[in-house]
Amino acid sequence: MVDALAAVLAETVGQRAGGWDLSGEIPEDALRALGTRGVLCAAVPAEFGGQGLSALANGELTAHAGVLCGSTRSVMTSQGMAAWTVQRFGDDKQRVDLLGRLTGGELAAVCFSETQAGSDLSAIGTRIVEEDGEIVVDGRKVWATAAAYADLLLVMGVHGAGAAVAAVPASARGVTVEKIPGPLGCRAAGHSNIRLDSVRLPKDSLLVGSRLPMAMLGTIALTYGRLSVAWGCVGMLRACLAAGTRHVRDREQFGRPLADHQLVARHIADLYTLERTATHACERAAESWDRQAPNLASDAVLAKYVAAGNAAEGAARAVQVMASAAAEDGHVVARAYRDAKLMELIEGTSEICQLILARRALEDVP
Amino acid sequence: MSNTDYAGTLTEEAARAALTDFLELRTKHVWEPATDLFESGAVTSIFAMELVVHVEQTFGVTIEGDELTMENFRTIDAMVAMVFRLKAGARRG
Ligand SMILES: Cc1cc2nc3c(=O)[nH]c(=O)nc-3n(C[C@H](O)[C@H](O)[C@H](O)COP(=O)(O)OP(=O)(O)OC[C@H]3O[C@@H](n4cnc5c(N)ncnc54)[C@H](O)[C@@H]3O)c2cc1C
Repeated sequence: MVDALAAVLAETVGQRAGGWDLSGEIPEDALRALGTRGVLCAAVPAEFGGQGLSALANGELTAHAGVLCGSTRSVMTSQGMAAWTVQRFGDDKQRVDLLGRLTGGELAAVCFSETQAGSDLSAIGTRIVEEDGEIVVDGRKVWATAAAYADLLLVMGVHGAGAAVAAVPASARGVTVEKIPGPLGCRAAGHSNIRLDSVRLPKDSLLVGSRLPMAMLGTIALTYGRLSVAWGCVGMLRACLAAGTRHVRDREQFGRPLADHQLVARHIADLYTLERTATHACERAAESWDRQAPNLASDAVLAKYVAAGNAAEGAARAVQVMASAAAEDGHVVARAYRDAKLMELIEGTSEICQLILARRALEDVP
Repeated sequence: MSNTDYAGTLTEEAARAALTDFLELRTKHVWEPATDLFESGAVTSIFAMELVVHVEQTFGVTIEGDELTMENFRTIDAMVAMVFRLKAGARRG
């Protein structure tokens, strides 16, 4: 199953990722093809039209996407996180309807961040108000991955004393999506800022179970995203390891292969170690998810923290050993170098992960 | 711990005891059945998610849609009541 879906990815992305990075755009038909063929949110259960992959299998698929194209993998993370949010917070009718659409070729973005609310989601100012049997959504969102392509926006806002998530069609009146022109990395992932001006929607656009305190809502939704980003980082590390090792084996300087120079070999050893330890942290977190072990939330934070840090470090090592051979935009290692840095910022920056992990460690003190 | 530990024979008392044990183990606080968990600040958002998953796993229930409210997790008693409501619902369904 994973192999078949990985083959769909390989066939759709092909050798085009470098070009997409340079143009800042993935052709929409490619994304829709990946969506209808089940790749973008493969963990959705079969009863809702998904592939029903385990977290471990979905993780391997996500890593595969990460090897090929960081932008496509980012879109996959958004779609998967949107689907998980619907699965967790929707009622039966919302699950059937929305998951059917997300597995049927429609694309989704998750809109949490705002100018004043980055790490601190409690500062969210977007409001979701119930009025005359409808809901009205008002606010501004920033940096929503995949929103430039999306049909559906999952928007988190203040609702009553807590928060809630509304499923907002991108075509709804009052919605304006503006693509961010030059992101540092994952350049074709369609990051956008969004304005929601008195967007009126039927009441059932509010995910029934999402009326929770902001922090809890964020944690549940982001746990999927963290695991997905972590596996994406494993993919970047694998791409860097593959390119780096091939290069140091085949290129000679001072009369012998680069790999025979010990200082170069050390970079390769470190790159290999970074890839392996990131993989192990991800496998562990995916197993916790699949067993539904209560520590799955902190394991996902750990995996994301380790994998993002490793990817940023590993990509820098790969650039170092390849030197000018990797110093051109569009090259797989150049892309990883830019993409990986951003992975230390999203779904909880490395510092926010550290705060969570420190708290976790302190809870364990007898 | 898995739901089979309680197959068929779950009493409210056992459920209360199991939840109290888990909470005390993880938070290092002593919890009365009616104490507000969230007011205390001892329950982080990460832990809140772990609590949801723990309740689902231990008692073999699925907490989705409108059962997923803060009120249902606010006290040990509220969680016990929810578990029994969900179990009764599953038997009827
Ligand atoms: C490529 C990319 C994709 C994104 N995709 C999405 C998306 O799909 N949906 C969405 O909603 N958002 C998305 N975001 C936004 C992302 O979630 C935020 O950028 C992130 O949460 C950090 O917020 P911020 O940028 O406002 O930084 P800030 O919160 O302002 O942080 C700035 C710095 O201060 C540190 N800091 C902040 N608070 C603390 C603290 N308490 N202790 C220690 N250090 C602290 C941070 O770690 C960071 O180093 C994306 C961002 C990027 C770059």
